[in-house]
Amino acid sequence: MCGIIGYVGSDQVAPILTSGLKNLEYRGYDSAGVALADDVLSIHKREGTIDDLTVPESTATCGIGHTRWSTHGPPTDTNSHPHTDCTGEIAVVHNGIIDNYDALKADLEAAGHEFDSDTDTEVIPHLLEEALERYGLPTAVSRVVDRLEGSFALGVVAAGRDEIVAARNDSPLVVGHADDGAFIASDVTAFVEHTRDVSYLEDGDVAHLDGGDVRVYNDGQRVDRPIQTVDWGADAAEKGGYDHYMLKEIHEQPQALRQAISGRIDAVAGEADLELSLPEQYLASLDEIQIVACGTSYHAGLYAKRLLERHAEVRTTVKIASEYAFSPSRDPWRTLVIAVTQSGETADTLGAMRRASRAGAKTLAVTNTVGSTAAREADDALYIRAGPEIGVAATKTFASQVATLALLSVYVGRTRGTLSSSDASDLLEHLRGLPGAVQQVLDEEPRVRTVATEYADGDAFFFVGRRLGHPVALEGALKLKEISYDHAEGFAAGELKHGPLALVTGETPVFAILTDGTSPDETLNNVKEVESRSAPVVGVSSLERAEKFLDASFSVPELGLLEPLVANVYLQLIAYHVANSKGRAIDKPRNLAKSVTVE
Amino acid sequence: MKAVVLAAGEGRRLEPLTNRRPKPMLPVANRPLLEHVVEAVAEAGIDEIVLVVGYKRDRIQTHFGDGNEWGVSIEYVVQDKQLGTAHAVAQAESLVDDDFLVLNGDRLIGSDLVARLAETHRDGDGAVVAVTRSTEPSEYGVVELEGDRVVEILEKPRETPSDLINAGVYGFDPSVFDVIREIEPDANGEYTITTTIQRLIEDESVRALRYDGMWIDVSYLWDLVYVSGDVIDRYGRDSADSAVVEDGASVADGVYLGPSARIGANSTIRRGTTVGDNVTIGSNVVLENAVVFADAVVEDGAVLRDCVVASNATVGANVTVDGGDADVVVGETVHRDVTLGAVVGDNATIGAGSVLESGTVVGDDATVGAGTAVSGRISPGTEVQRG
Repeated sequence: MCGIIGYVGSDQVAPILTSGLKNLEYRGYDSAGVALADDVLSIHKREGTIDDLTVPESTATCGIGHTRWSTHGPPTDTNSHPHTDCTGEIAVVHNGIIDNYDALKADLEAAGHEFDSDTDTEVIPHLLEEALERYGLPTAVSRVVDRLEGSFALGVVAAGRDEIVAARNDSPLVVGHADDGAFIASDVTAFVEHTRDVSYLEDGDVAHLDGGDVRVYNDGQRVDRPIQTVDWGADAAEKGGYDHYMLKEIHEQPQALRQAISGRIDAVAGEADLELSLPEQYLASLDEIQIVACGTSYHAGLYAKRLLERHAEVRTTVKIASEYAFSPSRDPWRTLVIAVTQSGETADTLGAMRRASRAGAKTLAVTNTVGSTAAREADDALYIRAGPEIGVAATKTFASQVATLALLSVYVGRTRGTLSSSDASDLLEHLRGLPGAVQQVLDEEPRVRTVATEYADGDAFFFVGRRLGHPVALEGALKLKEISYDHAEGFAAGELKHGPLALVTGETPVFAILTDGTSPDETLNNVKEVESRSAPVVGVSSLERAEKFLDASFSVPELGLLEPLVANVYLQLIAYHVANSKGRAIDKPRNLAKSVTVE
Repeated sequence: MKAVVLAAGEGRRLEPLTNRRPKPMLPVANRPLLEHVVEAVAEAGIDEIVLVVGYKRDRIQTHFGDGNEWGVSIEYVVQDKQLGTAHAVAQAESLVDDDFLVLNGDRLIGSDLVARLAETHRDGDGAVVAVTRSTEPSEYGVVELEGDRVVEILEKPRETPSDLINAGVYGFDPSVFDVIREIEPDANGEYTITTTIQRLIEDESVRALRYDGMWIDVSYLWDLVYVSGDVIDRYGRDSADSAVVEDGASVADGVYLGPSARIGANSTIRRGTTVGDNVTIGSNVVLENAVVFADAVVEDGAVLRDCVVASNATVGANVTVDGGDADVVVGETVHRDVTLGAVVGDNATIGAGSVLESGTVVGDDATVGAGTAVSGRISPGTEVQRG
């Protein structure tokens, strides 16, 4: 999948294109580029994310942009869009696949055209070069489109022409209408901050954007594509048949996790390939890693702490971002501060990151949002690639954060020489198995719903676990309290007897995490403690002998230190179904917002 | 014109693969059957699709979302109880107010069929039924024609008056919903489209559209083994850029490797094989005519012919499936001499050195201990040890 955007009007085009591309980045992020059309055409493109792309200031008011996910040819600077013709005066961005490009390319090469890239797209500017000798741009595009087979959404600009021509066949393309100009894009999100008035092109349409004027032709005839106003967020279809974004996103976890690990695992060498720019010597010399985060991201940080200490043998502390101060007792030159934030805009986390930075420590942002403030301001950024998350209660991003931080623990451990390649291979193999294991849990949803409904009327809900089970207990309780409004608390299982046990009654269901990495046998003793106070106990467990002590039990497939993360998926489903049985506003819980941009 | 695609069914004959996903989500060429249908509809220029979902609908909804990735807009309606194909169509009533098409979500068809049907439907009055030829008409609805009019349609008759069958693709107008309300359930208690058409024939003319292009019904496990290869032969599909082939491995033409799939050193991947997303194939593995679903692992030295390995399954080192023909029991019917090496269900584990005889079907979540010789059907969740 790729994303395209174009604008022609009275405003400078460069910032419109770069911000639009950032909004489209979920459609692909292995290379990006723009073409600015003034009297001359200037192309700026390269392999990498949109952040890597520098677009100089320009007075141009007409241009097109592209973010790419490779189909033909690897992600390289040359294969990035826009593509140009031999004269360098025509530029094309394209989303889709041209099926007959081989034949067209052979014809063009025979006619003396020279190709720079391996892409199917490049045939289009060369075809246009010939057509433009005889026709204006709109007609030239129509003629060329007639020769193309396959799927495409195209945007075309040319030097000295203040106009864009777009064409669509089988790939999405919308036109945006503003007072001072017009837009084209793969998706409304690309320009929704400029206008909500859109028209949708149909297959075979060729649109001519001339300043604010938009004329659409199909098969040579002028056609009318009505302008609609998008009511953002009210579109139930976006939930893809689910009642709530949260449930949709819970189910998206296997795919999100496949993306999180894609290309980052070298199981044979026992290496994690993260393309970080933090110097190896610096990582080797670290005294301490400090993780700053809020809410669910903080729980991901707690999980990561144990993995980092185990694999990289470096002292790791986790701080709630709003409580964070850089201690003068620490050496900033030997301290790495990792800011974990889904949105990359969480004000508390940005504040903590800036305090660390001012003290002289290096910072690393672990985020879902390319181009976010955290990603831009940190010394380096590591993306969790979970795709857009809309439900306020974070679900898939927690899984992707932990998976990505687990990869980081391997990377730092291998760099510091503290993790053997065979231990690294084991963890990487478990990471690879994570998507399948999570799907296995999702397949149990009908039974989870039954159990959740059975216990939904508890007076309060307690979650207990040890070691890696502790952050998962905290996260399970957070999910439940934020969407069901019930009182829920997570405890280190061993702490129960030091106080919280006083709260446990026959009406307070207790959820216990009993997997690898959580000292399940010890926690089982705590389970017996609460059972003797007649509390019902639900276990998420990979420990078969635990079953006879549990009122209900869900089994977690074997996955080493990632078993607690898989167990968490059960807790997400329990929280969802408890809240849903009470008719709560699950995607927009009272008093809460997705991305908290105030301190 | 909208297309209503029926995807609520379970697909019992394809157990154990349908224990965890509905039949329309079974992969062919590493894409769900239903995705091929959605693409055929989109390519025919129809960009509004109503998916009728039911059994394990989360799998379908998670995969397709709102259809943006396919350039279409997808709406969902739920058929809670499987009361037949006409009952499924009726669920879409509130979303349809004009001429519409109905397609089965688990048959592979060409986009030309959808385009021609839409054109025929637009250009005339009354319902249209696509008909195609079959070598086994008694498995389907057999259609008798006079000219291009349907005069009789019989569901799975013992004696077949013709080899023309109902291709499961129709054009209707909204008045069909009134007819569906009036029909009686058939002998199985189901309200079917066949009954609806029989009723329509009494009152009006029902047109037939003859079609002889691609029409494939994946009915049985062994169909899955060859259909993927056929589809890739026919349409081609380039392996994902993120697939990794290690040194010394050889991958034949016409093999498809999914995103992040890894083929270990010195493995040989022969024709007719598709390897899903995030799959690990070890070293010195031989795969021939094998379909490996996402997240599965095939360890070093395994030899798998004519096989399906379902999602997240683990096939241990040196497991051998020699492949070839076998007799396979489905329900109460014995199917003789079908080409099926073995099926390994979702999340199942086959221990190192085991040998699966031709026709073995290992259920999901089952475990076969190391060095075990297995044949026949292993029930889901069971453990088999060398005895």
